[in-house]
Amino acid sequence: MSVRVDPNLMKELEAFGLKDANKCFHCGNCTAVCPLSTPENPFPRKLVKYVQMGLTDRLVERSEPWLCYYCGDCSDNCPRGADPGETMMVLRRYLTSKYDWTGFARKFYTSEKFEIIAVTIVGILVGLAMWIFHAGNPNMEHAQLNTVWPAPAIEIGDLIMAGVLSFFLLSNTYRCFKFVMGDLRTKIPIKIYVRKAWELVAHFLTQKKLGECTDKVQWLVHLFIMTGYSTVFMLVVIFLAGGIHVIGLSWDKIMFQRDVIYPFFHPVRLLGYYATAALLYGTTYALIGRIKKRKAPYKNSHGTDWMFLILLELTTFTGILVHFSRLLDLALTTYVIYVIHLMVAVPMLVLEVPFAKWAHLAFRPVVAYASAVKEEYLQGETSQA
Amino acid sequence: MAETQTQSILVVGGGMSGLTAAIEAAEAGYDTYLVEKNPYLGGRVAQFYQYFPKLCPPYCGLEINFRRIKQNPKIQTITMAEVEKIAGEEGNFDVTIKVNPRYVNENCTACGKCAEACSMEIDNPFNYGMNKMKAAYLPHDMAFPMRYVLDPALVKSDEAQKVKDACPYDAIELDMEPRTINLKVGAIVWATGWRPYDANKLETYGFGQYPDVITNVMMERMASWTGPTKGKIVRLSDGEAPKSVAFVQCAGSRDENHLPFCSGICCMASMKQATYVREQYPDAKIYIFFIDIRTTDRLEDFYYKVKEDENIQFFKGKVAKITQDEDGKGLLLRVEETTAGALQEISVDMVVLATGMQPNTSDAPLPVEVAYDDYGFLASQVPRPGIYAAGCTRTPTGVSESVQDGTAAALKAIQSIARR
Ligand SMILES: Cc1cc2nc3c(=O)[nH]c(=O)nc-3n(C[C@H](O)[C@H](O)[C@H](O)COP(=O)(O)OP(=O)(O)OC[C@H]3O[C@@H](n4cnc5c(N)ncnc54)[C@H](O)[C@@H]3O)c2cc1C
Ligand code: SF4
Ligand code: SF4
Ligand code: SF4
Repeated sequence: MSVRVDPNLMKELEAFGLKDANKCFHCGNCTAVCPLSTPENPFPRKLVKYVQMGLTDRLVERSEPWLCYYCGDCSDNCPRGADPGETMMVLRRYLTSKYDWTGFARKFYTSEKFEIIAVTIVGILVGLAMWIFHAGNPNMEHAQLNTVWPAPAIEIGDLIMAGVLSFFLLSNTYRCFKFVMGDLRTKIPIKIYVRKAWELVAHFLTQKKLGECTDKVQWLVHLFIMTGYSTVFMLVVIFLAGGIHVIGLSWDKIMFQRDVIYPFFHPVRLLGYYATAALLYGTTYALIGRIKKRKAPYKNSHGTDWMFLILLELTTFTGILVHFSRLLDLALTTYVIYVIHLMVAVPMLVLEVPFAKWAHLAFRPVVAYASAVKEEYLQGETSQA
Repeated sequence: MAETQTQSILVVGGGMSGLTAAIEAAEAGYDTYLVEKNPYLGGRVAQFYQYFPKLCPPYCGLEINFRRIKQNPKIQTITMAEVEKIAGEEGNFDVTIKVNPRYVNENCTACGKCAEACSMEIDNPFNYGMNKMKAAYLPHDMAFPMRYVLDPALVKSDEAQKVKDACPYDAIELDMEPRTINLKVGAIVWATGWRPYDANKLETYGFGQYPDVITNVMMERMASWTGPTKGKIVRLSDGEAPKSVAFVQCAGSRDENHLPFCSGICCMASMKQATYVREQYPDAKIYIFFIDIRTTDRLEDFYYKVKEDENIQFFKGKVAKITQDEDGKGLLLRVEETTAGALQEISVDMVVLATGMQPNTSDAPLPVEVAYDDYGFLASQVPRPGIYAAGCTRTPTGVSESVQDGTAAALKAIQSIARR
């Protein structure tokens, strides 16, 4: 088998945030110190080596970048300051762009200008759409969002967004799965795929792997952001319309951001509160950490890391404002903030979810699943041999 | 010629490089003062069992040097002393030296009666604290000068008088005070050498926590007949013979978080120590974990010779973590074999950390402004006009280079005064 060497890989990865990988002198300390690295799957040095050697083709098949949860132990203990943890992060960005067939992710990651323009355009489009499609006679005495934007319109908008988003995310995730499985994808019997399916669920829900890291705070912060985000995502995409009314699937009791104000202990309201608190804590902690460069994972921030955190923080913050101004029944204020809220939230969803940082929400568990399937299959192979 | 009193040379540090500088200058006819912090001369090599690459005892060479000192009235050695102040300039330095009390005068014949009478015990610094010794002590069996020392704690204790009375030669002076000596010298040779990098700072290696993790300098003492185990290499935890020994190279060396430079000799030192183990335990399994083996010029032959030994395994990979085995007896090393990319856990009975050489000047600088490099070594052979650096105070190196360096510094010092 011939191996193609790409002499420009390091240079290319610089745009994704690579800085110190060339300092590595291959002592192996990082791989032996990493709490998640195993004899079956040792990393991160191997990946640093592939980067230095320009093995682009090999890199796209690797699962390790998604098995690393960026605890930073390897970077803290690297004798050369080669920051292997950052290399893993850079590879996650790079792989996200490789999985994405549209080429959008690549531009998003490699050009800050593009990133800002894209976010701005989507934001403005959302604002314009809301301006154009608002109802003729909004209730200006009481804060009632549905009198400005009738439920069916929101539902349709929501459906379109969910459709577009899922299409890109799923197609990219499928490519991710295909790359990681390589030739084995079709060879492995369905039986193993089914048996290992629970891994997928378990990984997603518990962030189990990150829990094995030494820095427990990091795990908690990540868990907060992840669960907070998933909750909101669910509320928005599924329950915004109380199910999806226009296609006949709905249940009034769980409508989110409708004009009914639920009693305090209503599950939707509680979920909303949990998500808000978790996101606010997690995002603020990460933002301050990055500003102060508090620990290894926060030392090198890429433009997209900032964009991601700022959008998330703004979404949470404007969400809180909408909530309170509704409770205070301030009509115009509510409507204005609501527009701003969506101008931030929608770009975050449609750009970050399929093309950038949020995509890892799908890639990580899928890769964990793929690795488990592969490992089981290969174990069977060797025990038969 | 200038005044005679500025024709003399001060040498600071009585290790291999300082000793050489002082002797060479004296034998060229110059008055020389040799100031040493310890109560004995010889520096670090006095603590070694054997020298690489010839595997001969360091005391042969040291004895010859001590004899040269004894025969030469031009050298005055001042032990237990440190330089407190340096004023003036090349050709005319005023130096203040502080001498700590030994509490024992020249009458001492090293009969050892004081130690017999003493019951107080203190950590033995010569053996890196691996055993205790009497507080009235001879620093080590071959110490030069061959004179006892009383620990200040003993002098303050109730036992002091009893110990003094035990001396048949009236050599003990309990009222000895620290003294200050003022010297005028024309040139100074600085040769304060190195100390082992503090292994307690290597958090992932468990030094201090696991008794069977020791350092290379401790290994030298353990292998020496005069050491804490009378030359037996054993596990400090249970006194048993190790069946397997791991040498961990670059323990804190070539590491941004510790000593960023390569000491250049610890690879050789570990291979030498592997032969110590081999000599005592022909069946023991020995691992040398390394990033790169660094043996320059002729020393590489030694590497090839050691490599032929089937029981010595050279393992490419930096040890990341040392923990205890499940049974609590052995030690577990987590390390990646980097040629194959295999993550492994290897269990051994004993670990030797090959710590590097940290210049003493990095935390005890000269009492006068001189140039240092990034790591605290004196930046060059002439870090200030009239002051000359020799040996490991200038760069990490071996004994023969230290001797050459001492000779070179002596010549520079002589030139500096002869020019006037
Ligand atoms: C584990 C190990 C094994 C080694 N084995 C070998 C070997 O087999 N062969 C070989 O060639 N090399 C070996 N070396 C290297 C060797 O130790 C050095 O080359 C040698 O010690 C250098 O001598 P030096 O005089 O420069 O320094 P040192 O030996 O450190 O002597 C410095 C002297 O200065 C004194 N001093 C310090 N500060 C002051 C002060 N402020 N005032 C007055 N005096 C002071 C010290 O007490 C000491 O006596 C080994 C090194 C290590 C770490
Ligand atoms: S990244 Fe650092 S710790 Fe890892 S192999 Fe390279 S130099 Fe060693
Ligand atoms: S950041 Fe943590 S999980 Fe990722 S490779 Fe480094 S040590 Fe392993
Ligand atoms: S001599 Fe060997 S053990 Fe010592 S620092 Fe250099 S490479 Fe590391």
